[in-house]
Amino acid sequence: MARVKLTNVGKVYPNGTSAVRDMNLEIRQGEFLCVLGPSGCGKSTTLRMIAGLEEVSSGTIEIDGENVVGMPSRERDIAMVFENYALYPHLSVFDNIAMPLVARRTPKPEIRERIRGMAESLGITEHLRKRPSRLSGGQRQRVALARAMIRRPKMFLMDEPLGHLEEYLRIELRREIRSLHEATGGTTFYITHDQEEAAAVSDRIAVMYQGEIQQTGSMADLIERPANRFVAEFVGEPPINVFEGISVQEGRLEIGDCRIPLNTDLSDACRLQPPGSAGIRPARLSVAGPDSHGLSAVARSVQPMGEWGAVLCETPAGEATAVVPSAALPAEDARIKLVVDPDHVHLFDARARNIRFAGN
Amino acid sequence: MVDISITGLSKSFGPTTVFEGLDLEIKDGSYVCLLGPSGCGKTTLMRIISGLETADSGSISFDGGNIDSLTSAQRDVGLAFQNYALYPHLTVEGNLRFPLLAPIQKGRWTEKELGARVSEIAELLEISQLLNRTIDQLSGGQQQRVSLGRALIRHPKVLLLDEPVTHLDARLRYSMRSELKRIHSVMGTTTIHVTHDQQEAMAMADQLVIMRNGRIEQAASAMEVYSNPMTSFVAGFLGDPPRSVISVELGESDGKPVAALGGVLLPLGEQLGASSAKGGDRRAFLALPARVFSTVETEGSVELQGTVCAHEMIEGAQRIVIEIAGQRVNLQDHSDRQVSNGDKVRLWVNASEGMLFDGSSGLRLN
Repeated sequence: MARVKLTNVGKVYPNGTSAVRDMNLEIRQGEFLCVLGPSGCGKSTTLRMIAGLEEVSSGTIEIDGENVVGMPSRERDIAMVFENYALYPHLSVFDNIAMPLVARRTPKPEIRERIRGMAESLGITEHLRKRPSRLSGGQRQRVALARAMIRRPKMFLMDEPLGHLEEYLRIELRREIRSLHEATGGTTFYITHDQEEAAAVSDRIAVMYQGEIQQTGSMADLIERPANRFVAEFVGEPPINVFEGISVQEGRLEIGDCRIPLNTDLSDACRLQPPGSAGIRPARLSVAGPDSHGLSAVARSVQPMGEWGAVLCETPAGEATAVVPSAALPAEDARIKLVVDPDHVHLFDARARNIRFAGN
Repeated sequence: MVDISITGLSKSFGPTTVFEGLDLEIKDGSYVCLLGPSGCGKTTLMRIISGLETADSGSISFDGGNIDSLTSAQRDVGLAFQNYALYPHLTVEGNLRFPLLAPIQKGRWTEKELGARVSEIAELLEISQLLNRTIDQLSGGQQQRVSLGRALIRHPKVLLLDEPVTHLDARLRYSMRSELKRIHSVMGTTTIHVTHDQQEAMAMADQLVIMRNGRIEQAASAMEVYSNPMTSFVAGFLGDPPRSVISVELGESDGKPVAALGGVLLPLGEQLGASSAKGGDRRAFLALPARVFSTVETEGSVELQGTVCAHEMIEGAQRIVIEIAGQRVNLQDHSDRQVSNGDKVRLWVNASEGMLFDGSSGLRLN
């Protein structure tokens, strides 16, 4: 159960590429923290620096208050799970899981006892004598998880552990990972590019992009209070609508042919930081008849998906998507109005920061 | 543009039976989605229709004409795959032309006709400005358009799409869905689209075909399959969150129909109760949508007690999986209370709004 603190951590590769810049991040004791970001954002490099697999170029990494920069990986008491399992092909499943315990000279009866319990909770008891090559991808990843968790380390580091598994297996295994995390009380640092997975398993999510943490919070924070345009666009499905070429005049936001009154705080903030674009989540647009007040739109594609459906529209301000209850779906090619909820408009300044939360 | 009729189709790979005696009718010009978990046989079925794979027995006909002995090229089907499978050394135009230069097409096209066909398809797919580019200069979305264009260039009788949208990012996925529907409405080609994504299938299909273990569980309009599932599998497969499907014992209490779950008797109400009498078996599956569960007592609801076995945040609500007497139900909790695995919880359910399925066949009773 470790507490991890990264202070001003940077990583520059010998070729000059700056992978991680001035990163400050705290992983609380017993917390399940997810780092979510597109490929190349520096999330794996961060994990490898915490693990001790990658040297730190600047800053400090503390585990339980102790600076571990320079400390060899094996002394950090962490366990890792990777996307590609990394099992020993010539060993049985049992011996693979036993490896970390054997390396620490755990008595044999205890090894057997612990593997029995772990195999049971991961549903791999019947495979213990097999070689990894005889197992499916999902089963192999269970073995990799068992091997990581058998030792009860201070901390788990997981890099896209469910990356190339099928959808239903991913759902099943992420629940098991969460359940093992809770049962062992460990601290987990987990990397994924899948936002649904991040929201499902974690206590907190850190969104990373271009080597920097963009925002840390719950999925609800990222959806309702995105710190900047990157977070707004990266998180949420269908993706947020972003309107360029907008303006704020006399406390009203103009998007296409629609004028939206802003509250005083926001319109004051806009005077200091003129917005360059506006973001509105699809679920925050509702569909109304052509005579209502709102943004004029033609429903180009109507996609019912059960209780809800998506409407892809053409508007004078560009394309826009609304997500509405199925009963409210318009006909295809219908002229409609998209009604905007002013409390859920995000305005981004010239540096793409969300004006509502940017300060100065 | 053909009707497709599949009768008694069987296929095995060694000892593994993919399907046996499968029947399916597809109407001319319709957009069909084959949806099911992996291993259900949907991709194999598509490959057999395309001629890339041969069936062990059974037959397929296009507009009444048997095509079993025709090669893939003779069947006149267009194929587009998830991984695009474009020729990297050719330009976009070279890729589009390729199917028209196949031996079977020899002598059918003058250079002028060829050029006209390429322009027509490039325009339809909005890739006219990319014709001279090589494949590695294209984004994923553009490559998918080229792959579709190549599948459509011969104006095939049938268009077969294997997970055509899966690889694209979220924004492109939604717009590609609408593109595919637009292209379909222009070309009118009978289209079969294989997917594992239920939202995609719901959004696109005229006819939605749900497969499992090599069997067709249900084939009907998307809304019909969604709101009126005919098997317990379909009931638990669709829905967001999926319905909870639990095994219950049917019986009576004080002369009223009930379903027993562990030691708790769930009143079924009049309508559902009447249909419960139909099943010969006393064991049944009860499918319950998320909305019939509540974290507070409501009128007509019965209290249940269970143990949290998983919890996750999905689209702003907490989905809690609760085990009750060995059965799992999904509770949608909009409050921000904290739960942990192993917690004992109370919940309330109104079973009269559920659906009943036969305990052995899984077929709908009400």
